[in-house]
Parts: sequence; C-alpha cells; structure tokens
Amino acid sequence: MISARWHACVLPVAMWALAMPVASQEPAQQAVRIGVILPQTIADPLQTAVIEAAAAGIAMAEEEFSFNAEMFGTEFAVTTIRSDDVVAAADQLVAEDHVLAVIGGYGTAEATALSQWAGGAGVPFINVGAESDTLRNELCGPSTFHVAPSAAMYLDAMAGWYVRAGFRRWYVVQADDAESASQHERMLWTLDQRFFGAEEVGSAVVAPGAGLSEDTIAQIRDSNADLVLLLTGANDQLAAVSALSAAGLEANVAGFPYAETQTRQFFAALEGATEKLGSNFRATAWEATLDAYGARELNARFRDLTGEPMEPSAWAAYQAIKLIYEAAFFSGGSDVASVVAYLNDPSSVFDVWKGIGTSFRPWDRQLRQPVYLVEINSAAEDAFSSAFLVGELPAIYMPGTDPLERLDQLGDLADRSTCQ
Amino acid sequence: MPALSQEENERIYVANEYNADISVIDSATDELIATIPISERPGEVRPRGMNVSPDGRIIYISVSDFNPTLEASEDKIVAIDVSTNEVLKEFRAGGNPERLDITPDGTQIWASLEATAQGAGYNVETGRQIATVRVGVEAEGVAISPDAKWVYVTAEATHTVTVIDREAGKALKHIIVGNRPRVVEFSPDGTRAYVTAEIGGSVSVIDTSTHTVIDTIDLGLDSRPVEIAVSPDGARLFVAGGGTSAVYVIDTATNTVTDTIREQMGRRPWGITINQAGTRVYTANGLSDSVSVIDTDCLCVIDNIAVGRGAHSVQVGRAPE
Repeated sequence: MISARWHACVLPVAMWALAMPVASQEPAQQAVRIGVILPQTIADPLQTAVIEAAAAGIAMAEEEFSFNAEMFGTEFAVTTIRSDDVVAAADQLVAEDHVLAVIGGYGTAEATALSQWAGGAGVPFINVGAESDTLRNELCGPSTFHVAPSAAMYLDAMAGWYVRAGFRRWYVVQADDAESASQHERMLWTLDQRFFGAEEVGSAVVAPGAGLSEDTIAQIRDSNADLVLLLTGANDQLAAVSALSAAGLEANVAGFPYAETQTRQFFAALEGATEKLGSNFRATAWEATLDAYGARELNARFRDLTGEPMEPSAWAAYQAIKLIYEAAFFSGGSDVASVVAYLNDPSSVFDVWKGIGTSFRPWDRQLRQPVYLVEINSAAEDAFSSAFLVGELPAIYMPGTDPLERLDQLGDLADRSTCQ
Repeated sequence: MPALSQEENERIYVANEYNADISVIDSATDELIATIPISERPGEVRPRGMNVSPDGRIIYISVSDFNPTLEASEDKIVAIDVSTNEVLKEFRAGGNPERLDITPDGTQIWASLEATAQGAGYNVETGRQIATVRVGVEAEGVAISPDAKWVYVTAEATHTVTVIDREAGKALKHIIVGNRPRVVEFSPDGTRAYVTAEIGGSVSVIDTSTHTVIDTIDLGLDSRPVEIAVSPDGARLFVAGGGTSAVYVIDTATNTVTDTIREQMGRRPWGITINQAGTRVYTANGLSDSVSVIDTDCLCVIDNIAVGRGAHSVQVGRAPE
C-alpha cells in the first residue's frame, strides 16, 4: 500500500506577487509533472536528516519552478510519495500522475530497483542519493541519470586532497560488504594510477556495527599510517573515530562521504573527536557556505525558506527537479522521449550552481561536477557555521583546458566503464 | 603608453564590491584620482551595477549586501554627483538591487531586484517606486531600449529575459536564452539586444522588433561571458570573460568572435565599458582589483590601474567642467 502521499500543483508563491502569464517566445508547453519517491521507514536519525533535507529541497524547487513554468503558461507539478515499495510507487506515479521522470534513490538497494524499473518503463530515473559505482557500471540502466556523485568521484577527490596535502601512508578500514570492497578496490586503483607517492600500509575488514577491535587499533598504530580511511557506514565511522580517539591515535581520519556523513547532524556528532584526530575534514556534494557562482543566492533562498543550511541532499533533490524542468522546456517537448533525449545529449548544458556548465557523461550518465572539501568548525554556534568550504576538486577555473576534460578528472572514464 | 589622446572630459568610475566604494580614474592620464565611499562597512555593503545619467553628470549605483535575503537596510540606489564626487541622493530599492539602467530622458531608473525576482522602476526626482514587474529568479541584467519603450531584465536562475513595457509597467514576454544570463545591452539603434550566458558560454542576439532570439553566438563552454560593451557604431561587442581573464571581440555583422584579448588582462574582468569615442574599453577586474585599459585599434591592453577590492562594474562619466 502506498501511503504518506502529497501532491502539489502550482500554488500561490508568497515571495513574488503573482501575475497572469504573459507571452513567451516558446510555444505553450504541456504540463510538466515530476515524481519523487522518499523512503517511508527511516530508522536512523542521520538518514532522517538526509531525507528531510531532501524534502525541503524538493519543496523549494517546486515553488521556484512552478513560478518559472507559470511565466510560460505551463502547468508544473511535483508529486511526492513516501514509500518503501519504490517500484509500486513509481508505477503509481506514472499511471496516475503521468510523470515525466522519477527522482529518488536513497540507498543502493532502492536506487537499483528504480534503475531496473526505469529501464523497463522507459521513464527516466534521476538518482539523487546512491553513490555506488555498480549503478554506473554492471548495474547501469539506460534510463538512469545520476545527480549524486559516484563513489569513484569521491575517492578521486579525497585522494587529490589528502595525497597533495602530504598524507602518503593510508590505512583502510573496510566494511564487511560488497559495496565497501568495491570502494576499497577503487581506492587502490586511484592511488596506483592517479596519485603517485601514496600507498596502503594496512587494512582491516570490520562487520557493520562491530566497531574496531583492539587488534585493529594496534595494527593502525604499528603501521605508522598518517591517514585512516574509513570505508564504512556513517554510524560505524562515528564509532571508529571515538575508538581511535580514546586510543590516543594521532593519524588523520577520513570517512567515505555517504549522504548521512554530509549532514550538519553528522558534523555535530563528530565534534567531540575532531580536534584530537584531525578528522574534521569531510567531502561533500554541496556546501551551505559556498558563496560563489550564484550559490550564495541559492543557499540564502533555502535558508530563508527553511531556516536551515542547504544540505547536500537538499541540493541534489532541487537540482534533479531543475534538470527535468529544463529538459522539458529546452527540448521543446514535454514528453518522456524528449526529456530522455535532452538529458542524453552531450551538448546539453546544465547549470547546477557549481560555477561550470555540466552534462551527463555519455558512457554512464553520471552528472559531471566538482565536489567540495569542508572543514568542521568545532566552535560553531549554529548549524550554518558548523562547517565551511576549504577545497574544491576539480578546480573549475583553469583557462586553456577543456572544461569537460577538467570535470572528468573525477570518476571513471569511458575506458573503465562496464556500462552497456 | 600614455592615454593622452583620450577624452579629457571623461572620468572612469569603478564600483568596488568588497571595498564598498567607488574609484574615480582620469581617463586622460589613466590615474586614480579619487575614491568615493559608499559605506563604512566594506565587506558588508555591496555596490555592484552602475550606470550614468544621459548627460554623464550623475553616476547611479545599485547597493545591497552580502546576505541576499528579501530586504536589508543596505538595499538602495545611490546617486553621485560627478562634479563633487559626493553622494547626491539615495533612495530605497529593497530586494537586493544588482544592476540598473536610466531612461534616455533621465527621469526613471529601472533596477533588477535579485532577491525578489522583480524588475522595478523608480522616479529619479522623487525616488518613489513607480512599478514592479515579476521576472525570473535571481534577476540581474537590466537595460532600457534607446527609445525608452522597453526594459529588458535577465534572470540568472531561470535563463530568461523578461521584456517589460515600460509605460504600462507590465511584462510583455519572457524569452529563454542561454544558461545563467548575466547582462543585456541594446545596440545603439535599438534593433538588437545582446544577452550573455555565463554558464552557457554564449551571447544571444535578440531582434527587438519581435523580441525573439535570432542568433546565438557560441564563445565556448569555458568562455564565461559576463558584461558587454557595445561600440558606439554598433559594429562590435566587447564581452568580458570573467573566469577566463579575457575579452572577446564580436563582429555584429557576422555574429562571430573575431579576436580574443588575453595578454596583460587583469584577473576576472567582470564589468566592461567603452568610451564615447569608441577608442578605449575599460574592464573592472574583480580578482586583481584593477581596471584594464584596452586600445580598440590594436585590441591590446595598454594599461592596468589599481583600484579597490573586488572591482565589479565600470562606467564612463563626464569629468567636472
């Protein structure tokens, strides 16, 4: 049974006085309808933070793009379903709401199911929450487009920052699952092929929820690692940081940036250990203190609307709606085929407030984009100032280079892709 | 190379976004001759877009702050008398005004209100707001046609230009242009309007008789076009490529890029303007805190002048008599 559903069409926009639509250069479009699937059952407070931020991003996007659509005399609607049965929810969105695309993917399992569904339905699925490389490779779907950065992109960025900063001896803590094993393998490739001079000096596999054993902590100490990379879930990262701090370890600790670890709530949970361990740097897909490229305005609008910083999951959800909206408008056709064609077109340019025009990679349909390094501010007095931007990869200003090649410094290129 | 041949009755005015002041340059000597404070709170108060009264005697500056919320006490338009370099008047322009333009008769100012997605008209004499028109999200560029009939307002986030019937105070049409349009400028004869798209890397050419895009000039995805200066004869566009530290020269007869000026350009040229004779182009360089002076014959940078922090907008005004 599908439940917790809410549907919103064009609504009065308090911020801007409404007016009747006026003539536009483009012919009147058919309705643009977008579906969003959020999980219904959320057991973890960190995941709650991700989902609720995403919901807020959706609400803001709906408000703004309804405003935009009305300028052109077009109906715009976003329908959100909270459901754990994502396939049934997607079917319902298509059958009853005639959506042009479905947005979701909070977790690998959900994203995989929606990707497979999209391949059969022919309706684009916009993945905003799952970073698994399998979704971009052996499990890729012809109608799946990834807004969330891939694991490979994050690992390349993290290596870029840490190796260049002089952290050359890496100890890897891997979770006892296929996802983490894949990340570990990709990290080794990154160090071998893209960032010379760094090496893995040890590794351990830990079961989810088990924490670091005394033996593992001893191995980390004995390895003389200067960086401990945690390829584990968010709560396991918190537990590991606490254990390493209690043991008096001096190495820096970095964690794989799952969506939960990119939230202000996670940053607050790290606060107690950050100064001791040097684990106060995190990779993110978005940062609420970014103030260039129009990001100041986007962040400010979100803050005005919600009273909260724009979390990465809010940014991703907002951008997903924007991409579909633009695909419908710029392609000249509000039908699924036109939207898919526009998203697939390498010459389509998307502005996602990251200062550079971007597009989906033809080989795996991953959105090219920079990612950010933020520093957690342990002296923060509010959520907004609890982190601030300290790094960006790839650098978007590099005159004389090709912008797409610049962006493709992160993640897998076509020659490594197993996406068919 | 001294600029002795330049108009001695002109001054160059630069809005320094992070210094909260205006730099004044003598175009005859290319020397900084004055600094006009806008606020005693640099880094908080934010002067950006500027324009000049038709007689060149008043500089109007859109002022806001770095927290782009709906309303702030800093949101206003400031008028500076060039004969005294003092603030002549201020009037309220809530909603984070970013850029502005003045009607040919000097009686109205139209501004883009970034935070409220509006174009707004003001009576210059009284400072009273006379019209507000809904445009797209993150309004930025604003230009008034030479016949004063139309006001064009760009919207960064919506990728649109809204055509406003100025006398009616209403939107006539919305036009889709390239990604992240920044600035719009009319040709001297009013038959064309040119719109830069920073992310799209293009300039849209609009036929103003039909308010439709008739050509899109591709400068390259990494060109980052921002402001435009149109030569007095309308034959050339000079486009500031902010992130590339370049100026692109476009032939308007063919709508093609004919030259790219890079050598000795300041960093992040954002604002750009051309003098009345069309012999000099000036860019405001936000990362090198300078103004570059370009000779339009050799298409080369002949001088770089240090100004305040975050040079944003640059205009040519009349020198005191």
